[in-house]
Amino acid sequence: MSALLRIENLRVEFPGATAVEDVALDLHENEVLAVVGESGSGKSVTALAVLGLLPSSARAAGSIKLDGRELLGLPEDELRAVRGARIALVFQEPSTALNPVERVGWQIGEVLRAHGVKDKRERRGRVGELLEQVGIPPERARDYPHQFSGGQKQRVVLALALAADPDVLIADEPTTALDVTVQAEILALLRELQRTRRLAVLLITHNMGVVADLADRVAVMRDGRVLETQDVRKLFAAPSTPYTRELLASVPRLGRRERTERQISDGIPAFAVDGLVVDHPGRPAALDKITLQVAPGEVLGLVGESGSGKTTLGRVAVGRLRPSAGSVRLFGTDLTGLGRAELRVLRRRIGVVHQDPAASLDPRRTVLDSITEPLDVHQVGSRAERVARAEELLEQVRLTKEHGSRLPRELSGGQRQRVALARALALEPDFLVADEPTSALDVSVQATVLELFSELQDLHGFACLFISHDLAVVDQIADRVAVLRDGHLIEQGPAAQILTSPSTPYTRALLDSAPIPDPDAQRTRHHLKATA
Amino acid sequence: MTTATLKAPARPRAKRGALRGGRGLVGVVLVGVVVLAGLLAPLLAPFSSQEQIPGANLLGASGTHLFGTDEVNRDVFSRVLYGIRIDLFICLVAVPAGALLGGLVGLVASQTGPSDVVAQRAFDVVLAFPPIILGIGIAAVTGVGVLPVVCVVIGAEVPLFGRLVRAATLKVRELPYVDAAESMGASRTWVLRKHVLPNILDSLIVQLALSASGAVFISSAMNFIGIGVRPPEPSLGGVLADAMAQLGANTMYAVGPLAVIVVLVLGFQLIAQALVAARRGEAS
Repeated sequence: MSALLRIENLRVEFPGATAVEDVALDLHENEVLAVVGESGSGKSVTALAVLGLLPSSARAAGSIKLDGRELLGLPEDELRAVRGARIALVFQEPSTALNPVERVGWQIGEVLRAHGVKDKRERRGRVGELLEQVGIPPERARDYPHQFSGGQKQRVVLALALAADPDVLIADEPTTALDVTVQAEILALLRELQRTRRLAVLLITHNMGVVADLADRVAVMRDGRVLETQDVRKLFAAPSTPYTRELLASVPRLGRRERTERQISDGIPAFAVDGLVVDHPGRPAALDKITLQVAPGEVLGLVGESGSGKTTLGRVAVGRLRPSAGSVRLFGTDLTGLGRAELRVLRRRIGVVHQDPAASLDPRRTVLDSITEPLDVHQVGSRAERVARAEELLEQVRLTKEHGSRLPRELSGGQRQRVALARALALEPDFLVADEPTSALDVSVQATVLELFSELQDLHGFACLFISHDLAVVDQIADRVAVLRDGHLIEQGPAAQILTSPSTPYTRALLDSAPIPDPDAQRTRHHLKATA
Repeated sequence: MTTATLKAPARPRAKRGALRGGRGLVGVVLVGVVVLAGLLAPLLAPFSSQEQIPGANLLGASGTHLFGTDEVNRDVFSRVLYGIRIDLFICLVAVPAGALLGGLVGLVASQTGPSDVVAQRAFDVVLAFPPIILGIGIAAVTGVGVLPVVCVVIGAEVPLFGRLVRAATLKVRELPYVDAAESMGASRTWVLRKHVLPNILDSLIVQLALSASGAVFISSAMNFIGIGVRPPEPSLGGVLADAMAQLGANTMYAVGPLAVIVVLVLGFQLIAQALVAARRGEAS
């Protein structure tokens, strides 16, 4: 069988750097080829090169053939005829892929018109069909993008991509911006569309679970090169390169941690809320009657999808947000009616780690300045002592003194997050609030940061509110887990119990939605779902 | 991603580099020449600014009188050189004063809701007066002189800097690293001093350059219509105003001071543009 899309010897250069080198990929009809890699591996650049959508500063060489026809170097107007009609693209972020001021039906109609459907009535009929195929009622063609949820928008984007009946679909991280339960739905839809239309899908992703769920074959990319291309089962069963092995090993999996039940002291809880309500006028409560506590030295994993209120609870915990009702206690002190000075004293005992380390470090301060900042704020010791402490912390997060003089942008994402962690630990806090601390990181980096986090937690013994959307991550870290949904506390309990035998259907759904990085297990799951 | 990490170690000093070449350099040279001419006026000027030269009435440009002479036999070139001093003095006093005052008001405005409303409406009121009309009004109270000019320039700068600082502060304050600082117990003043100020400095410097060009323009205009520096003290606008009646007799009488004003305004504008461009390049 000859390949539908054949990439050979592809090389893409940007001024001063080579993004992609010596890439060869074959994509056959009715096949899903996943291209996996971490950020900077060149997977997106490869996809853009296929469509001739590289930025003007980039230079591509090599060969990209569709049905034996060379695409590289094709004039713009001929390429336009290929885009959409033969090869369609689905982007990561559905909200920016749609024009906010036009009705979705019109947007799909435009694609049809561009590809030769001139009759208005015929177009309307086709738009309805397409929407129906992606599971959106046809009458919603008259709605605007903002009237759809994130998952629905991604469905519309899929309809848009399929409008001109392409043979090849390039999906660049199609589910990364979505919650797990929605991701599961979109993956199911993608699978169904691929089968019924016999599409060739080039799936770009960093998520091994998504690969296991959807792919027939997998190409692993690193630093602009393809390391190996394998059948999906073979890859997961016996990866042939050390990098792939390492990559697979760093993917967090549920139930892999051998759990040592730690003795949690019964002292005054580091953080406790009772009947906590946070609401904004005219909207449903962001948090509704939440009662939970974090014991000293305990790690509580707070899990929920976007909009569940988990970040709001994190802000309440550091005293950044006042509750509308209920009590919030930090180390036994009620925060209600506390003045700024008193709050400051309490904040000395709290550390905070944010989601995006690139944004949570002041771009103009050196790493050392950032780490000493909490010490400066609370005027701990002399300048020399602060610097010494910061250097000690740098060492604890496995960075060197030399990193101290650098600016945040001179560090990698993982290094930045370690700096943020060092800063949070500078005052030896008794309570740490970490809001999605690893979500912005690549899996292999995430694995090392999580490991480091566990070590530091053992070393310092701080209590922690660990906020995450990823159950597998929480499983590695947390002693107890609390599940939030739409501002309600669904359930809480020991991690082992919640993550293996949850008592609510919602938690069950969360556990089942996250794709497991194991093709066979994923297939069994689909089978069970189909028969059920 | 790869390109970003590759570029990271080389950290160009964009701000200073911007003025070392291209239009930035041209701007610096233009402004520098005029400033030097003003500073060295006592050395460069062939005559004193008030000296009435016998027999030299409305002479055209020549080797002895570069810009010719005026209707009361004074050397125009010398008067222009001395005139630069007063214009630069107004710029150097009024622009920083306006920036400081406006910046402070902007900072206060960004802190609480009510103070914001009051400051914003006050800015609206000040901006509602065209600078020249404002100047005439102030001159009616204080009398003609340097004071109303300084007041008008300050009045024009305060809302500009106020709004700039307010907007930049509000933007920076929403960033996670400020949130991080506040969560670790940092006070408002700490956040302003350590995070907000260093991060809005760039836009302030650009605005200073722009404002300087505006101030030259305003002060020249006010001197031109006669509510600024009192004659016979020379100023660029004042000399230009006197020249209007004598255009037929000595063209350089008007072109000389006008050229200096144009060079100054253009120079400051070029500097501002180069800084803005450098900042954009840095951001991308």
